[in-house]
Amino acid sequence: MTLNLAPMVDVMMCLIIFFLLASRMVAAEHYPVDLPWALAARNVESAELGPRATITVRRANGGDDEAEYVVADWDGERIVERVLLADDIRRLLTDRAARAERGNQKLRCVIRADRQVMYKHVEVVLRACGLAKVSDVVFTANAGRDPEEPE
Amino acid sequence: MKPRAPAAEVVPNLAPMVDVIMVLLVFFLLGTSLDLVSQGVLQTELDPSSGPGAGAAVEIKPLVRIALADVGSGSGAIIYVMDELLGQDDFESLHRFLLDRRRAGADPENPVVIGAETTVRWKFVVKAMDAAVRAGFTNVQFAVSFRAGSLSDSAAGSP
Repeated sequence: MTLNLAPMVDVMMCLIIFFLLASRMVAAEHYPVDLPWALAARNVESAELGPRATITVRRANGGDDEAEYVVADWDGERIVERVLLADDIRRLLTDRAARAERGNQKLRCVIRADRQVMYKHVEVVLRACGLAKVSDVVFTANAGRDPEEPE
Repeated sequence: MKPRAPAAEVVPNLAPMVDVIMVLLVFFLLGTSLDLVSQGVLQTELDPSSGPGAGAAVEIKPLVRIALADVGSGSGAIIYVMDELLGQDDFESLHRFLLDRRRAGADPENPVVIGAETTVRWKFVVKAMDAAVRAGFTNVQFAVSFRAGSLSDSAAGSP
């Protein structure tokens, strides 16, 4: 008697494809960014954040003084990184807020800013939120005490 | 002539394949761990009636106004609370100050406005917000267009 393993292989293949895609999607929202630390930061599941536009503010050109704004987009085949200009951020937030509103939902802006970028770079995103009338803003931070901070 | 034996049914051995798939499955399962899916967040609700998105600028009269000034090359931040110098990088003192306010009966819904010079590093702004949230204030707003050298400026409004 031989055990028929074919259906099991099918199921496992499906699971592998699911986890493969899921890990890529999750990674796309989590570019390596040196986030700030905050004791009050609470860990939430990504799904808990609901409809959102995640904007990453990261250092550019290898220095601390310049920054670029990045969003992840699904182009139909894969997730691509898109660098935005300040005006594009407002447009993106306005479009997504309108889309969320059509589904009777409220858009949330998730700002993932590198701890070393200047406030003026984050201010650009905050300004865009104001202009796009997105009032629900979330800042990502590592939950806990800053390891650089003396005890 | 000997009669030919009936051809045996060929069944591929799937066991090694199942082993490999199992290993891959475990790899991707661990790769998408909860650590990746969850993230630490600080949340705020910006005031929609003020800032650049509103028709007219509305001045927010904060219960607490925190201002951060840059210390050369972003290595630190000088903290001012209600225009009074509190210290440099001393966010624990800021937390204690805000906690005292809360214990004195301050409404947690009252706005705490954080303003920072444009060159202040983001980590210091987050530390100021962290101090406010830990003290129990839920309405943290951010000043935009904050001008260096005008730390006592009350033109701060949420974005």
